[in-house]
Amino acid sequence: MKALILDGSPEGDSLTPVAVLGMHSALAGRGTDVELVKLRELDIAPCTGCFGCWTRTPGECVFPDESRDVLRSYIASDIVVYATPVTFGGYSSQLKKLLDRFIPVLDPRFTVVGGEVHHRLRYRRYPMTIGLGTLSAPDPDAERLFLALVARNGLNVHQSAEAAVLVGETDPLSARSLAERLLDRAGIAP
Amino acid sequence: MNALILTGSPKGRDSSSFLLGSRLGEALRNHGVTVRDEFAHQALRTEEGTRRLLDAVDASDLLVLAFPLYVDSLPAPLTRLLELAAERRTASASPGGPLLAVLVQCGFPEAHQCDTAVGICRLFAGRMGMRWAGALAMGMGGQLGGGFRKLPGGGRNILEAIDRTGESLATGGDVPGEAMALFSRPLVPRWLYTLFGNLGWRVQMRKNKARRPLAYRPYAK
Repeated sequence: MKALILDGSPEGDSLTPVAVLGMHSALAGRGTDVELVKLRELDIAPCTGCFGCWTRTPGECVFPDESRDVLRSYIASDIVVYATPVTFGGYSSQLKKLLDRFIPVLDPRFTVVGGEVHHRLRYRRYPMTIGLGTLSAPDPDAERLFLALVARNGLNVHQSAEAAVLVGETDPLSARSLAERLLDRAGIAP
Repeated sequence: MNALILTGSPKGRDSSSFLLGSRLGEALRNHGVTVRDEFAHQALRTEEGTRRLLDAVDASDLLVLAFPLYVDSLPAPLTRLLELAAERRTASASPGGPLLAVLVQCGFPEAHQCDTAVGICRLFAGRMGMRWAGALAMGMGGQLGGGFRKLPGGGRNILEAIDRTGESLATGGDVPGEAMALFSRPLVPRWLYTLFGNLGWRVQMRKNKARRPLAYRPYAK
């Protein structure tokens, strides 16, 4: 089994790296081959909204930057972890910049999923989506919104998704415990 | 009152978000509001542009975010702007802030798919000490490309919703509930929108002389 952890922490964020460490060790402990991508170290441009990835070079962004390598890894993975500080209930801009570039993995044509319209799938299989957020202090509204956002992102690939938020967690062992519970909930067997 | 209409689409002035935002700007001007237009993607390319944009946010009494839904949320550069604005607000600890309203459209037929993005903006307003005025959210945004005139009924519902919103915001009010309902009303039946949408992708491919099939899988093993 292969897992891809997308670390969307900005410079100076002390909490998300701890959550990532906990998840990395929980996944490795289950015999998973883990690839960790620190997004702030990659050169990825924002999506220009040209739809060239659907109508010019279907399946691939027309701009050949490092997002292509990440997408290739994504499609080859069984699990993808979106690790991010919870930013107004959403993702950090680092993570969001990459996710905006994810649309070539979908087929632009429409289909109905769960009663609402989504894009068709381009590939036969997609990794299970796991959201791993961090907050410095309890914020129930932000936490609820984050869980809802990850669930909606799961729907985009016609799946359910799992997510959790670590609040003020600086201990890697506690972070690993939460990651273990999250993986159990997602049905990822040890 | 000073209003800042901030377009969060990479297409800038050519975008549907700007089409909607500029109509709201017109409605606000008709009620005596001074309106300034800015573009997040362009401004964030330089330090000077970023600083100018953040200054404009701080100087506004009404901030309107006009953007397309990107992956259930705001486009990344607009997210970056919210992060920077929040950092600056914390650093300067300036009390209060402008009114925040949102204009969002998505390419799916259902307006409710914009709910998570609207929620993010609402929480941003709370963190910034801004007053949340509400959001106009619509689906079928793919139809806005030809302008209001090419919409069924000339886009009457959309225009009325924006005009009513402009009137209310100009006097410090919220986005009216009736305007939200009008704005989110489907422009055409869902089946028709998806049928033409699906045909449209193929037409675009032919125009672009794409050499791969639409369902090509470059990363398949």
